[in-house]
Amino acid sequence: MMLTMKKISTFIILISCSIAVVAQDFDKNIASAKSSYNSGDLENTRFALQQALHELDIVIGKEILKELPTKLGTATYNEKDDNVTGGAGMATGLFVHRSYGEQGGSSIDVINNSPLINSINAILAIPFIGNSGDGTQKVVKIQGYKSVLNKNENETTGKTGYTLQIPLNNTLFTIEMEDTNENEIQSLANTIPLSKIAQIAQ
Amino acid sequence: MIKHLLIIGVAFTLGLVPASAQILNKIKQKASQKAENALEKKLGLGDDKNTNNPGDPGAPGNNPGNKTGGGLITTPPDVMQNIADAQSSYKSSKYGEARYAVQQAMLGVEMEIGNKILNSLPESISGLKKDASADQVTSTGFGWVGLTIQREYNDNDDKEFRIMVANNSMMMSAVNMYLSSGGYSQTTGGEQNWKQTKLKGHRAIIEYNEGSGYKLSVPLGQSSLIVFEGVNFASEPDMMKAAEAVDVDGIKATLGEQ
Repeated sequence: MMLTMKKISTFIILISCSIAVVAQDFDKNIASAKSSYNSGDLENTRFALQQALHELDIVIGKEILKELPTKLGTATYNEKDDNVTGGAGMATGLFVHRSYGEQGGSSIDVINNSPLINSINAILAIPFIGNSGDGTQKVVKIQGYKSVLNKNENETTGKTGYTLQIPLNNTLFTIEMEDTNENEIQSLANTIPLSKIAQIAQ
Repeated sequence: MIKHLLIIGVAFTLGLVPASAQILNKIKQKASQKAENALEKKLGLGDDKNTNNPGDPGAPGNNPGNKTGGGLITTPPDVMQNIADAQSSYKSSKYGEARYAVQQAMLGVEMEIGNKILNSLPESISGLKKDASADQVTSTGFGWVGLTIQREYNDNDDKEFRIMVANNSMMMSAVNMYLSSGGYSQTTGGEQNWKQTKLKGHRAIIEYNEGSGYKLSVPLGQSSLIVFEGVNFASEPDMMKAAEAVDVDGIKATLGEQ
């Protein structure tokens, strides 16, 4: 118990330190954008703003990580695998990844401005596509958000896994779990503060 | 007497049958008319007397058409104001708001870059005058993804020269594929619809299409591209001469390309 507490506090300190570093970079880039703009150097203003946007994405991603559970079922999260990528508004957008379990087989991904959202929304809009006849895909509701639940059979291990994709405005929240059932993944998803994450990511 | 009664009866019956048929027809017609009217009313359509164009203001059952408004204000976002907003939002940990403000600032800067490039283009090219109403700068505020600048020149007849400057990596990859792929080799025989060329020392692709005319694509640096389109130009040298009137290096420098 003490060890876990220590781990959590180390993690919080690390995150706070990295945010402080990013904050410095953000301020530096904003200052650079201001001075470049005042001297009429539009291209450098644009570059500095782009860098600032990238840093903001990283800060937003880290804020999202704070809201993600440290355990998914019985699997504990892999601190070293926590990953935030800022796309600076490019087509890839913001990407947040957390893996769970020794093999890292279960994971949570948050993608902002993702092109995938369109295809998920299309599935949600057409019920006969959303619910497949073979029972591998169906539409469910998580905290009021329509979501797509997919069943994945692992042929090597013989275990059944599930992927739950929840579109939150322009953000796609995905939980992938191996060796689980649809009730477990849905009840775990219901414990995550989705609306708060959507608000942070927006 | 009986005979009279029979005659009257037969005459009455004969008279009644068509009369009742007429009444039935009338009822049928009335009913179908009523049904049609009800349906039209439901669908918001009128009969001939009430027929109105969908845009007619004040027409019963129709939405009013817009007659005034003046469009949207196209002033670019205030860069300094948005930078200040981004700073204050960031300080109060409203990161989403900060991001929005930075994007707006970027949008403002891109619009200014676009207008600067438009101003650097000549007033006329190959005897064609610029069409100021067609000048266009489009930006998504997403950095390198979506800045496009368009300018048109024409002689108010059928000759036209168009310039499009784009900061768009997807289009760039298509042109670079042309330039780097051996699959698109040049032929000497048959119909040659495209070939590699150079514009003021920059590698380029020139294409010709019977329907749309000449198209010259010039990649600039890492992520920019200029596309020149010439409609009803007499020959390839004519088209190249028109493109040479544009300060390609100046545009490249304004876009910060190496």
